[in-house]
Amino acid sequence: MRPIINQKKNIMRRITTLLLFFCLAATTLFGGGYQVGLHGVRNIGMGLIGTSLSYDASSLFYNPGGAAFVNDKWSFSGGVSLIMARGTFQAKNANYQATIKHELNTPFYVYAAFKPTKNLSIGIAVNTPYGNRLAWEDDNGADWKGRFLIKDISFKAITYQPTISYKFGDVFGIGAGFVYTTGTVDMNKSLPFEGTSGEGTLNVKGSTQAYGFNAGIMIHPDKGWSIGIDYRSKIEMKVKGADATFTVPQSLSTNFPANNKVDVMLPLPANLDLGVSYEFGKEKQWMIGVNLCYVFWSTYDSLVFDFETKTPVVNRTASPALYTDQMIVRVGAQYKAGKVVTLRAGGYYDPSPVKSDYLNPQTPSLTEVGLTCGVSVYPFKGFSVDAAFLYLVGAQRDGTFSPDNFAGTYRTGFYIPAIGLSYSF
Amino acid sequence: MKKILFIILSVALFTACERKIDEFKVGKGSANFTTYVAMGNSLMSGYADGALYQTGQKYSLPNIIAGQLALAGSGNFVQPMVNSEYGVAYPGSQPKLVLGYSSSPCQPGVISLSPVRSEGTMEPLQPVGYPVNNLAIPGAKSFHMLFPGYAQFNPYYARFASSPTNMVVQEIAPLNPTFFTMWLGDNDVLSYALTGGVGDTLTSPAFFQTAMGGVLTALTANKAQGVIANIPDVTAIPYFATIPYNGLVLTQSQADSVNMAMALYQLPFHYTAGPNPFLVNDPTSPHPMFKVRQMQAGELVLMSVPQDSLKCMGMGIINRVTFMPYPIPTQFVLTSDEVYKIKTTTAAYNQILAGLATHFEIGLVDMNSKLTDIQKGIVWDGVKLNTKFVTGGAFSLDGIHLNPRGCAVAANYFIDAINAKYGSTIPQVNITSYPGVTFP
Repeated sequence: MRPIINQKKNIMRRITTLLLFFCLAATTLFGGGYQVGLHGVRNIGMGLIGTSLSYDASSLFYNPGGAAFVNDKWSFSGGVSLIMARGTFQAKNANYQATIKHELNTPFYVYAAFKPTKNLSIGIAVNTPYGNRLAWEDDNGADWKGRFLIKDISFKAITYQPTISYKFGDVFGIGAGFVYTTGTVDMNKSLPFEGTSGEGTLNVKGSTQAYGFNAGIMIHPDKGWSIGIDYRSKIEMKVKGADATFTVPQSLSTNFPANNKVDVMLPLPANLDLGVSYEFGKEKQWMIGVNLCYVFWSTYDSLVFDFETKTPVVNRTASPALYTDQMIVRVGAQYKAGKVVTLRAGGYYDPSPVKSDYLNPQTPSLTEVGLTCGVSVYPFKGFSVDAAFLYLVGAQRDGTFSPDNFAGTYRTGFYIPAIGLSYSF
Repeated sequence: MKKILFIILSVALFTACERKIDEFKVGKGSANFTTYVAMGNSLMSGYADGALYQTGQKYSLPNIIAGQLALAGSGNFVQPMVNSEYGVAYPGSQPKLVLGYSSSPCQPGVISLSPVRSEGTMEPLQPVGYPVNNLAIPGAKSFHMLFPGYAQFNPYYARFASSPTNMVVQEIAPLNPTFFTMWLGDNDVLSYALTGGVGDTLTSPAFFQTAMGGVLTALTANKAQGVIANIPDVTAIPYFATIPYNGLVLTQSQADSVNMAMALYQLPFHYTAGPNPFLVNDPTSPHPMFKVRQMQAGELVLMSVPQDSLKCMGMGIINRVTFMPYPIPTQFVLTSDEVYKIKTTTAAYNQILAGLATHFEIGLVDMNSKLTDIQKGIVWDGVKLNTKFVTGGAFSLDGIHLNPRGCAVAANYFIDAINAKYGSTIPQVNITSYPGVTFP
């Protein structure tokens, strides 16, 4: 029996801690790359691995099959990453450069899991696995050269995943979640038709929701070993009847109806992840793990815009994307340096799904090599402040978006600090 | 431990901030761009929208090239600037064309978008009074460059001729060019084509060779390097390619009446609902009274054809007043014989130009095949360009000359040829920063 005073203190702690989570969730923005891998500050610290881990509520997303292996009755975690994107473009055969405008993107997550029985876990995961937000600017303050392809885009998706997980003894667990996604898109481009008051423009703005699932299996075959398999389904984001606002010279207005509607179709790819990890050392101080994540990118064949009011120049366009399936390789390690501090490090290799002749400024996807490190500090048992830092090794790539003959070299560099809280009891 | 982590983070933050791609390195290769001179005709002068005016000159093909050569050590490129947005006034000249609204007399109230003459003060014809680097002269043919006193016949040369009795090639030596671009010889075939093959003659390939050889000898006298462009097939430009040979669109009842009239006149032509070929003159026709025939595929109607007569008076079919067959007058039509002559002569010129480029060891821009590419449709930075009138985006409103964006594309072709010939790295221009057609 614990003393009563201590119990009261614990309840107070719990309430304050939970309040902290809500503050975090309420103040975050979101965004990132088209698929974002930042779903747990602890995971970010160790090279984004997570499929075979069941340390905290982030299992709900990484592998629902692992959630039932989390020991605590209640577990919460939440966090946010600050993406300071930096990208430049150098046109092919020309003295021309442009830059992606500095914008802070903040993918976030909030996970909550509860174990009514020893073997059953239910929970909810809210996070931002997909998104894209950027705006291009000419380095000399002129109009950006690629404005007829894209001026700026903001595509945001938030997924809500209620999840159930069950383990059979201490060896085998399964779990599944229903994925409800809301998405918004807002993009601007110029049209090569000039009037006395400048070039034409197109703004597309709309929102949608879509469904999918997330299912996984966790196996603990032997002491220290852990194997996880997780599948997250494809989600068809079909924005129906988005507002398509054309601004063109008056004499062309019959060809470009000003208040048109458009259906936009963007598939979010399925993922099949396999993770293996091993805990060892005194009191399992050490953990090393590897994840192989197969992304079914080839579902993204083309970006389709289907306008409601059709004219000879405004109809259905399919801009080829022709993405190819890719395998992301992630490795990470964790070291418990005592009861208060846990240290993590890792790295990953995320090859670009875009072919060189379809590389475009809307999603200037480069093969990423990331190095990460992280730390958790436990001021008291069950509660940790987690911090991680992801350094994206600078990458550079030549490419042409051949349908629009837009050619050049892209270079990106990111550094992503992330901060979160975890609490379980 | 924390200290080490802090140091690692600081270094990473610092290095991540500086992520510039190496800038384009301009190099002149084996070329000497110090003094750049351009020669040619209206295509090089900045002539556009049916006039030589200030903005057109600012975006002239050689001026765009000069802007890039300046990055590789080229000096000032002087043009004979017109201080008017409307053109140069001389007998017969008209102000530039702009897109506006007009209606045809037979369809009052139906307003359509089409090129109309602008209203504004043109610059009076007078010498500019300074030597120029852009020696291009609207209307000039190859041999005009060697014609003493040409300034007395061509007002555009008169504006900058250093002497009224000069040959144009005599303007070259005082400039002491180290580098030149030349696009000349189009008018040797185009002037013929613009008159429907009846008001001018094609320059014979032999004479063309002599004249071009003479001009290039003058240009290279001081060992100047340069690039020349060959002659595009002019029948591909909007002026000849906009009105189809079968542009006569009839309803079934119209076709029925026309068929009855043709039977009456004992003309063996049959009309159907939809597009039908226009009538043209045919001196070889066996018919005792009406020397006419239907146009054939491949024959061309010129943009100069009186549109009102075509739309309202029955030109190309039956005159609405006299009810007689009403062929399109010969000067508005290129027959298949004439098209054939234009194409074979152009091919002969281009063979000569290729030979001259080799002989003078200069670069060659294959503008002929480039125009074929544009005819099929090209795209630069998401801007689609083709040879369609107005909507094609490359040609100005006169249907013959390029607009600024078209000139920028052509400038990039020249720049590619310069780089290929001299191993230089002159950057291409950004075509999206050059205006196309302005819509009201």
